[in-house]
Amino acid sequence: MPYLRIIVKRLALLLLVVLGVSIITFVVSHLIPGDPARLIAGDRASDEIVLHIRRSLGLDQPWPVQYWRYVQGLCHGDLGTSIRTSRPVLEDLKAFFPATMELALVALILATLLGIPLGILSAVYRNKWVDQVVRTLSVTGISTPAFWLGLLLIILFYGKLALLPGSGRLPEGLDPPTRITGFYLLDSLFTGNRAVLVESVKHIILPGFTLGFVHLGVVARQIRSAMLEQLGEDYVRTARANGLPRWGVVFRHALPNALIPSVTVLGLALGDLLYGAVLTETVFAWPGMGSYVVNSIQALDFPAVMGFAVVVSFAYVILNLVVDLLYLVIDPRITEAG
Amino acid sequence: MNDQTPSSFFSRKATWQAAVGLFTALIAFGGGQIQAATPAGSLVVGKSSDPQNLDPAFTMDNNDWTVSYPSYQRLIRYKVEKGKGSTNVEGDLAASWKASKDSLSWEFKLRSGQKFDDGAPVDAAAVQFTFERLMRIKQGPSEPFPSDLKVTAVDPMTVRFTMAKVCPYFLYALANDGGSIVNPAVMKLAQGNDDAKGYLASHTAGSGAFKLTSWQKGQSLVLDRNPYFGGKKPALDRMVVKIVGEASSRRLQLESGDLDVVETLPVDQMAEVAKKPDLTVAENPSLLVTYLYLNNKKAPLNNPEVRQAISWAVDYNGIIKSIMKGQAKQMRGAIPEGMWGFDPGVMQYSTDLAKAKALLQKNHITNLNLSFLYSNRDPNWEPIALSTQAQLAQVGINVKLESMANATMRERISKADYDISIGNWSPDFADPFQFTNLWFDTENHGLAGNRSFYANAEVDRLVREAASISDQAQRTRLYQQAQKIVVNEAAYVFLFQRNSQVAMRKAVNGLVFNPMLEQIFNVDTIVKK
Repeated sequence: MPYLRIIVKRLALLLLVVLGVSIITFVVSHLIPGDPARLIAGDRASDEIVLHIRRSLGLDQPWPVQYWRYVQGLCHGDLGTSIRTSRPVLEDLKAFFPATMELALVALILATLLGIPLGILSAVYRNKWVDQVVRTLSVTGISTPAFWLGLLLIILFYGKLALLPGSGRLPEGLDPPTRITGFYLLDSLFTGNRAVLVESVKHIILPGFTLGFVHLGVVARQIRSAMLEQLGEDYVRTARANGLPRWGVVFRHALPNALIPSVTVLGLALGDLLYGAVLTETVFAWPGMGSYVVNSIQALDFPAVMGFAVVVSFAYVILNLVVDLLYLVIDPRITEAG
Repeated sequence: MNDQTPSSFFSRKATWQAAVGLFTALIAFGGGQIQAATPAGSLVVGKSSDPQNLDPAFTMDNNDWTVSYPSYQRLIRYKVEKGKGSTNVEGDLAASWKASKDSLSWEFKLRSGQKFDDGAPVDAAAVQFTFERLMRIKQGPSEPFPSDLKVTAVDPMTVRFTMAKVCPYFLYALANDGGSIVNPAVMKLAQGNDDAKGYLASHTAGSGAFKLTSWQKGQSLVLDRNPYFGGKKPALDRMVVKIVGEASSRRLQLESGDLDVVETLPVDQMAEVAKKPDLTVAENPSLLVTYLYLNNKKAPLNNPEVRQAISWAVDYNGIIKSIMKGQAKQMRGAIPEGMWGFDPGVMQYSTDLAKAKALLQKNHITNLNLSFLYSNRDPNWEPIALSTQAQLAQVGINVKLESMANATMRERISKADYDISIGNWSPDFADPFQFTNLWFDTENHGLAGNRSFYANAEVDRLVREAASISDQAQRTRLYQQAQKIVVNEAAYVFLFQRNSQVAMRKAVNGLVFNPMLEQIFNVDTIVKK
């Protein structure tokens, strides 16, 4: 049962990762000079008020005590209370995490749906104009700053053409769909809310494309090089010599083999997208975790920062697990090996 | 090698057909009501960041007050004089008041017919509840009030405040967001012993003209008219606060008609907005000042003449013209223009390098090395630091720039671990106390206010006396006397006070700027045409 063994092993590892991440974030956030209590109280508050706040937040306790309390809460699914917003961190993350995740997934889907065909075309037409265009596009994608591309797209599609909205997840006056997953696209689909679905799609196109564009380049390049390798193999030549149609060989034989290393790239890309969404979220006023975390860092709100780190590392490990399981599905030889 | 690949898999015609089809679909799908103007009865305000906590007993952030201030009323409010916001006050929930002769007891008669947004009357018990809660929670907003403040409901419409020590700015503090009167019914929504802090962090429970009806975190907040509001019915039905982090996006949305009012745009973008025919930029002098701290504790900056030399070397006009694009005015002393107590006669430093050099020579100071601490909190700080570095180099002072995270910079300032640093300051209530007692008194050394660690026994005596009496004329005299000494001893470098700029559509009428209410809009009297 290789699947089960991998799942159990990874879940055990997950505990260690979460513990490690929480310790590192705790220590780093406590090493930064600055006093969250003073930030809340305002500069002009007396020492007495600052002390009162410090005590009410438990900041007057020694570090190990503070950390132990945090871990105790964590075991009960409690990520603590945000110093900045006075709300449970879990509640804040519940509000912001699905927005980021939805954006990252749409970006990944766009990058995959566009990147794979472009990579195939580029490999098949190697050194032809198609290849040159795709390679230029890939390099442009990798080297274009997201905030710059985002602004350009907003100016063009919102400012000039008035085709797509420039910010947010939904227009004013339209209530979000009933919450099932927190993803507006899915929730509106599940609840049959057509108006919200249409608006959600309109709102996610530009930020999704902006965020996905960088990874589109990465995916296209990855697929191109993997395809080139496969197309140069003997089995491809043999298949062609036996009279199989060219595109049949490309799609039925070369592509499945070229996709194996790409699964890793895509899995890691989603992790990058989660972390990298901050700039895109800022430009498109996307209410995700990006601005929440940046504001929390500035306010020395360590429960919020730790909550973010724990949740994202959790998601990261789970994604890696999914990638590994996908490997087993795509290439059974890996199962036999290990 | 794949040299035999077909030159074209998709025919050219098919490619073009697909492209045209995609574009048509995009237009059909995307076209429509995107650039519609905001609804007539709604004011849509674009802000750069989401509010954090709306509890008047907790928040010290003007960004939160945009939502909390119009949702509550206070006993006292700032006056509007000739269409302009003033730092003078008048009754809001209070119909009248009187103070005892010794100013240790204040009695307020409440205006009748005022109601919370659930229809409950605003009475003396609500005022008592509000202040007892404020002093119990003991966060930043409680700071201006005496810690021994006692509140008694004398009768349903009369409330009495008593204190052991004179608090000369008591009346002004009541007009601040922290003085917002909260509906005692919120206690039904309290969780354990939290004094309804959890609930009020993201809800409002006041008697203001508007009330918060929805908050999509990180995206928008909607405030609807309070049907029970006791004042004149506002022309607007709704205020929407839209969070758009990126300045260029905010500007674009204002130009496209999706926003009515936008705050905090960079100065150069404001200039561009002002050129558009249907937009306007309201400019008003604010009480927000920018100034340099000079570490008075550390040699040779403990010598007033060295500090004077620095004050004479700074390029005030250059900073105002090129960095602030003219949207600022050089400070004259600590108390800014527009605040009572301002002294138009106090000495003002100008740029005089010869004078600066002479002062340094007199003190045999050559090749002095100083550090300049700043953060990215305000984008203007770095250019100001660079300008100061260049000016001081001309008088023989080498300045090393140290850029760091704001929290770290504050920590270093609190420990007097710096030579020169920079800060912005705006008053919490309309009293020169905020610019004198806090900046000059040795009791407030550190982040509390005296960030230059200035010490002068005579100045201590003057400002403390001014804070212990309530006669405004006498207080003005004492503050001006203290300020004269401090300016002469160059405790700080007094740079400039800024203009507040708000970009809006011309359809928005009646916006009143009050320097005490930065980021707060008078939605109860604004009209949209």
